Amino acid sequence: MLGFFLAALLPGLYWDQGPKTADVVRQAGIERVFVPAGQEGAWKTAGIDVQPFDASKFVKLPAPGVERRMNVAAATSMPWVDANGWRLERAANRQYYYDVPWRRAALAAAEASMYNVDAVVHPEPRDLTAFGEMLAFLKNIGQPAMPVMANIAILDDGSEETGEVLNLLSRRNLLYRIVTAPDPKYDLNVQIGDKDFPKDEALDPFAFATMVRQKLTDEKRLLRIYGSEVVLGRLNGDSRRLRVHLINYGGGKIDGLRVRVLGSYHHGKLAAFAIENPELADYELADGGTEFTVPEMGAYAVVDLEQ
Amino acid sequence: MPGPYSGQVVRVHAEKSIDEQSERVDAPTVREMISHGMRSLTGDSDTRDSWARFFSSADVVGIKVNCSGAPGIMSTPEVVGEIVRNLGVLGLKPNQIWIYERFPGQVASAHYDRFVPAGVHFWTAERDRGSIAGYDPNTYVDVNFFGEDDTRSNMSRVVTEHFTKIINVPNMKDHGAAGVTGCLKNIAYGSFSNVARSHSGFKTNTYSFIGTLASVEPLRSRTVLNIMDGLRGVWHGGPFSPSRKFRFYPKQMMFGTDPVSMDRLMLDVIDGKRKAEHATSVWDRSMAHIKAGRDYDQNPNIDRFVREPGHIEYASTLGLGVYEIDRIQVRKIEL
Repeated sequence: MLGFFLAALLPGLYWDQGPKTADVVRQAGIERVFVPAGQEGAWKTAGIDVQPFDASKFVKLPAPGVERRMNVAAATSMPWVDANGWRLERAANRQYYYDVPWRRAALAAAEASMYNVDAVVHPEPRDLTAFGEMLAFLKNIGQPAMPVMANIAILDDGSEETGEVLNLLSRRNLLYRIVTAPDPKYDLNVQIGDKDFPKDEALDPFAFATMVRQKLTDEKRLLRIYGSEVVLGRLNGDSRRLRVHLINYGGGKIDGLRVRVLGSYHHGKLAAFAIENPELADYELADGGTEFTVPEMGAYAVVDLEQ
Repeated sequence: MPGPYSGQVVRVHAEKSIDEQSERVDAPTVREMISHGMRSLTGDSDTRDSWARFFSSADVVGIKVNCSGAPGIMSTPEVVGEIVRNLGVLGLKPNQIWIYERFPGQVASAHYDRFVPAGVHFWTAERDRGSIAGYDPNTYVDVNFFGEDDTRSNMSRVVTEHFTKIINVPNMKDHGAAGVTGCLKNIAYGSFSNVARSHSGFKTNTYSFIGTLASVEPLRSRTVLNIMDGLRGVWHGGPFSPSRKFRFYPKQMMFGTDPVSMDRLMLDVIDGKRKAEHATSVWDRSMAHIKAGRDYDQNPNIDRFVREPGHIEYASTLGLGVYEIDRIQVRKIEL
C-alpha cells in the first residue's frame, strides 16, 4: 500500500512585475523566484537571486478551484472540482506551472506541495502575500519523508478516458497509485480493458469510479471525508505515522470536517493554514479506524497521526 | 414515539384562529386550542396536569419548529409562544427551553423572540449551510444513495447532548419529494445533517429515509409530544411558500404522541385540498408531471420529484405508529 516519495520542494514564484517590486517580493519571504528571461541582472542588483523562467520546460496546469456548472446536466448537484491531483499522480517527475486568477495562488501552492511535485506559480500581484503565507506554512509543517499510501493500483494506458477515471477517483478520495504491472500488495488492481473493468465502462467515468469503489468496498478505504464535497485528501505514512493532507478547493472556510482513516493512531496534531491554534476535536478510535473532526480549515490542512 | 397515545389523535378546529386575509393569528384562540387539545389527549381536566404528564421542572426541552417555508409558513410564533408558556407553568425556566432548527436565516425570519421570554435558547445546527459542527459525530445513519462520498447523516448535538424531551411542532404541508411533510419529516430531516441528498434525483429515497431517521435513538424516545400546527397549510410547492398562491387555512391543530397517525390524517388534508384545486394527487407517480426547473412554483400539476407519501406507512413498519385509518382513534373538537 506504500508508494515512492520524492524530496520535498517548495513551489516557486513566477513574477513579472519587474525589479521595482523587489521590496514586495522580499517582504513576502519567497525564496525561489522566477522572472522573465533577461531580467536576472536587474533583480540581482535589487538584491534578490532569481532564475529565468522558460515556459517550455513546464507543463501548464489549469487553475485549481470549484465551478458551479448550473447549466450542465448532472446526476447530482455536486460542485465541479477542478483539481490536478490525477495529473500530478500521472507524471510526478515533471515540472509544473500554474497561472492562476486572484485568490487561487495559495491553493495552487498547497496542491503542488500535497502531491510533492516541483511547480512554479504565477499569481495575480494582489495574491502575493497569501502565496507567501502559504509557502511559510508549508515550510513550517515540513514534508516528512514517508511514502504515499493507497489501496488501489491502476495500470494507466495514458488515454483520455483513463485520465478522467483517475480524476473521478481522486475526486472521490479513492486513493490510488499508478503502476506498470498488477501489484498484489494493493487491495484492488484496476486495468481498464480487462474482464473486471471493461473499456466501455470507462466511457462513463462517474459510473466507473462507482464500480471501483464498490469492488474495493468502503470498509477498506484508507480515507473517508465527511462534511464537504470540495475537500480532497492524500496520505503519506510509514509503519507508525500517518500524515493526512486535506485540501479545500471551495475557496471559503470549511466549518467542520469529519475524517476517518483506517488504522489506530492514538495521537493526532492539526496544522491548518491561516487558522490560529487549531486543534482536533472529537478524536476517537473505533472499528479499526481513527476518526477526528477538523473544526475549521481554509485552503489546506495537515493532520499528523502517531500510533 | 409512538408514545403512550399510539393510534390516537386529537384534532381541534377553530374558525377564528387565523384571519385568511391578513393571516393574523388570534393568540387567545390558540391558547384555547392548545388547552383543549392537551386535556383531551390526556383525559385531564386541568391543562397543567396534562402537560405534567410529559414534562417536569427538571427537563431540558427542545421545541423542533419548522421554518423551511418562513416567513410565509412556519411553526406559528403564537403557537410556539403558548407551548413555552405552558412549560413555564410547570416550573421550567426559560434557559431550559430550546427552539431548534437547522438553518439560522429561516428561524430569524420567524421572530420567535417576540413571543417567548428572554433566556429561551434559539439554536440552529448549521451556522453556514453544510457545516457539521452542530452535529454529533458519533450518532449517524450511514447510507449510500447515488454514489455520494459523504454517506453519513448525523444527529444534531443538542438532541444527543442536551435535551431530555422534545416537542415536535410541524406544519401541514405538501412536499415535492416526500409527498407531504408533517411530524415524521420535520423531526427526522430537521434533526439530521446531509439529508437533501435523499432527493437529488427525480426518484427519491425519501420513502425509507424519513422513517429510518425518525427511529434513531435518542431522537425517537426523546420526542414525547407532537403538536401539528395547521392554522396555515401549503397544498403545493412545499416545503417552501414563497407566495400565498398555494397557501390555505385548515385552521386546526392536532395533538398526539403518534407521528404516523397524525401524518396519516394530514395526508388526507393535503390530498383533499389538491383534489379540490384540480391538482394531481400526491399519490400520482406518473413521470408525465415531472419537470426540472422552477415551473412547479407556478403550476400545481408540475412536480419536481415522484412524491413518496408512502413514507408514512413505511414508518409504521418501523414501529413508529399506527397507519391504518380505521385503527386511528380521532377526537374532534370544534371551538
